[in-house]
Amino acid sequence: MLELRGLEAAYGDVPALSGVTLRVGAGEIVALLGPNGAGKSTLLGCVSGLVRPRAGSISWEGKNLLTIAPHLIVERGLAVVPEGRRLFGSMTVEDNLELGAFSPRARAARRESLARVFALFPDLRARRRQVVRALSGGQQQMVAVGRALMASPRLLMLDEPSLGIAPQLVRAILDALVEINRAGVAILLVEQNVRAALTLAHRAYILEGGRVVGEGAGADLLRDPHVRRAYLGPLAAGG
Amino acid sequence: MTLLAQQIVLGLLLGGLYGLAAAGLSLVFGVLKVLNVAHGELIMLGGYGAYWLFALLGMDPFAALLLVIPGALLLGAGLYTGLFGFVVRAHEETRIKNSLLVGFGLALALHALAVRLWTADDRSISTGYGGAVLTVGPIAIPLIRLASLLVALALIAGLHLLLARWRWGKAIRATAEDWQAALLTGIDIRRAYLLAFALGTALAGAAGTLVSVGYSISPSIGLEWTLKALIVVVLAGLGSMLGTFVAGLFVGVAEALSAAAFGGPYREVVGLVIFLVVLVLRPQGLFGRASR
Amino acid sequence: MRSPGGSTEHAWTVAILVAFALLALLPLLTARDDVLNFVFLVLLSITLAQSWNIVAGYAGQVNLGHAAFFGLGALTARTLWIAGTPVVIAMVAGAAIATGFALLIGAAAFRLRGAYFAIGTLALGEILRTTVGNALPEISTLPAASIAGYRLAPRYYLALALAALSVLAVAALARSRLGLGMQAVREDEDAAEATGVSALGLKLRALALSTALAGAAGGVFAYYHISYYPSHPFGPGWTFDALLMTFIGGVGTLQGPVLGAVLYVFLKEYLTVRWVDFHLLIFGALFVAIVLIFPGGLVQALVQAGNGARRRRARRRGATT
Repeated sequence: MLELRGLEAAYGDVPALSGVTLRVGAGEIVALLGPNGAGKSTLLGCVSGLVRPRAGSISWEGKNLLTIAPHLIVERGLAVVPEGRRLFGSMTVEDNLELGAFSPRARAARRESLARVFALFPDLRARRRQVVRALSGGQQQMVAVGRALMASPRLLMLDEPSLGIAPQLVRAILDALVEINRAGVAILLVEQNVRAALTLAHRAYILEGGRVVGEGAGADLLRDPHVRRAYLGPLAAGG
Repeated sequence: MTLLAQQIVLGLLLGGLYGLAAAGLSLVFGVLKVLNVAHGELIMLGGYGAYWLFALLGMDPFAALLLVIPGALLLGAGLYTGLFGFVVRAHEETRIKNSLLVGFGLALALHALAVRLWTADDRSISTGYGGAVLTVGPIAIPLIRLASLLVALALIAGLHLLLARWRWGKAIRATAEDWQAALLTGIDIRRAYLLAFALGTALAGAAGTLVSVGYSISPSIGLEWTLKALIVVVLAGLGSMLGTFVAGLFVGVAEALSAAAFGGPYREVVGLVIFLVVLVLRPQGLFGRASR
Repeated sequence: MRSPGGSTEHAWTVAILVAFALLALLPLLTARDDVLNFVFLVLLSITLAQSWNIVAGYAGQVNLGHAAFFGLGALTARTLWIAGTPVVIAMVAGAAIATGFALLIGAAAFRLRGAYFAIGTLALGEILRTTVGNALPEISTLPAASIAGYRLAPRYYLALALAALSVLAVAALARSRLGLGMQAVREDEDAAEATGVSALGLKLRALALSTALAGAAGGVFAYYHISYYPSHPFGPGWTFDALLMTFIGGVGTLQGPVLGAVLYVFLKEYLTVRWVDFHLLIFGALFVAIVLIFPGGLVQALVQAGNGARRRRARRRGATT
């Protein structure tokens, strides 16, 4: 459904992505792994329309995504949970969620979407009138995921959702992702928590220095010696 | 003592208009990150709109608001589409600088146009009920100015509600807070910008109308009102329309007090000095959040 | 980005100085006061614009209170000169007072960035204008003896010398360590600070140079006019003129303010004759166009025209671009 071919991106003179080719099929959970600065966020930026790539192509459901404005990309069925959540801190949980369903297609389904979000994250229903700034990191992450879900996406992209979140809440969020996927939404997950990501994902790519250096099924990569040494050793984020 | 109280009341009444003038500027700055230094000229145009509706059609200025406000909305939309819409394409630091310059050029052009069309003379709307005064003890409150204050308050409250409840109002707030996140949420931020700019211009037009009936207007009031609005915005910080209104009242009263203490000519200076002090010590203003 | 101190700028510096040398001969060639007055105005404008350019173009801050320093220089020089001080010393004193004031408020002022600095300096200028206007409401007129002995030539030469000085100052600045440091700060202040550059120190030095020249220009203004209101040189119009001239010409370049000043004064005089109040309307519109389409002003337009012509010539010769 989502296909990146030969994607090249740079910030000024600094190259961020070189010849990245990547695919997310319908209903898949694909993980994107790699060290800091590897270009993972840039990749998501290119797909979501915030970053303009220098070369290459991005196609979604067969159509070119490159010249589409970010808010229209949402309308086409892609939603992002950005790194650091990027919620509207001064607004309530409810307002943030409601804004998630801003695009016309999402708006039509917003009542069902909201019900689904509250079913996934019951804690949010109780806090719906609370200002987001006052919530904990984990709760904010739930709001962020919920906001993206409100867009009725067919592909949900997440950038480091477990960063800075307490382990139990990470568990809850990852479980929610499984649920979401079961309902038919494809997921592209950029994650530092390699073990959790690989356990969850059907397939994964490894990005280093802006290039794809590894690709395979989640379970296979978990057993791969290079991956184990680089990402699951004592230095990597624990499970 | 009574004289002082009277001055304070008059300062309060004027301060309400400062607040209204500042609200429009604050909205545009907060959402678009654009400092429209031609804001005062938009106030001036609103004033002339009301004036000519009165002079040519005999329309009561408070009724004229019903025409001036939509007119100003359209003007704002036009100015955004034709001018400021291009300014917002730049990165934030460049954007602010460019908006300053573009606004300056626009102000220059509008000022020259106004002088050409309507001469540099002062003008004021004098209605039949113009002299009516509400007497509270020893204090005389000019009814027109009181009505203007209430209208200003109503408009600000209305704006507040619009931003809090209307779908696009929330979108405007979201865009102001984090435009990238807003885009990722599916909000067309350029439309949010357009709406915010139009609303800001509408507030300016309304303020101008109230100035023309309670006080007087001329092509030169532009810079003066832009500065007043800036002073209030800096004092109040961004993000709260009601806070901006209160800051406006504060500036009005401060001016009245300084005129009483130092004499009339220094009335202007006090506002500017407060402005500078707040700017340097607390750039986020009294009500604003300390963000950057 | 442009490279100040490049060979184009060097060529321009020479050209401008040659032009100034020729202009020095002008009073010997003509006795027409209107021509000399016009050139005087251009020279004064060049100094005003060039001095503003130092802070805007090289230190990257829009100073909307420039007139305050012009006014302070004028006020000081006028007071001293009428009291009997030789005019050049009065001018230097004026420049010193202006610079002193600038350094006094500079540290606080530069705590503000971008737009806040601009509106802060605007407010400062207005405070000074209002205060001087209230303290000295009466017109300042030269004593009768001075009016009788008034000669245009010394004013002309002072303006010329100052304009040349301002051009040389900018030329030297562009190549100096101070200038390069300023450029670094202008491009990315945080990055510059990280490498040990004291942004505040550089900005203050830029401000000092800028206000010294502006203050001296104020002295020339005070020397030139027979009578004026003391608050007049503090008016924001002077700042706006400098801003317009510099931007239209090309901010951050050496030749920009000079070209802009010449064009501005010429158009102002010419347009005022033809369409009385329209010149500001046109300048406003022109200015907006400059900001949006040609941020580099005339200089950029010329460079692009030059590049376009070079490309066309190359294509005609059959060379590959």
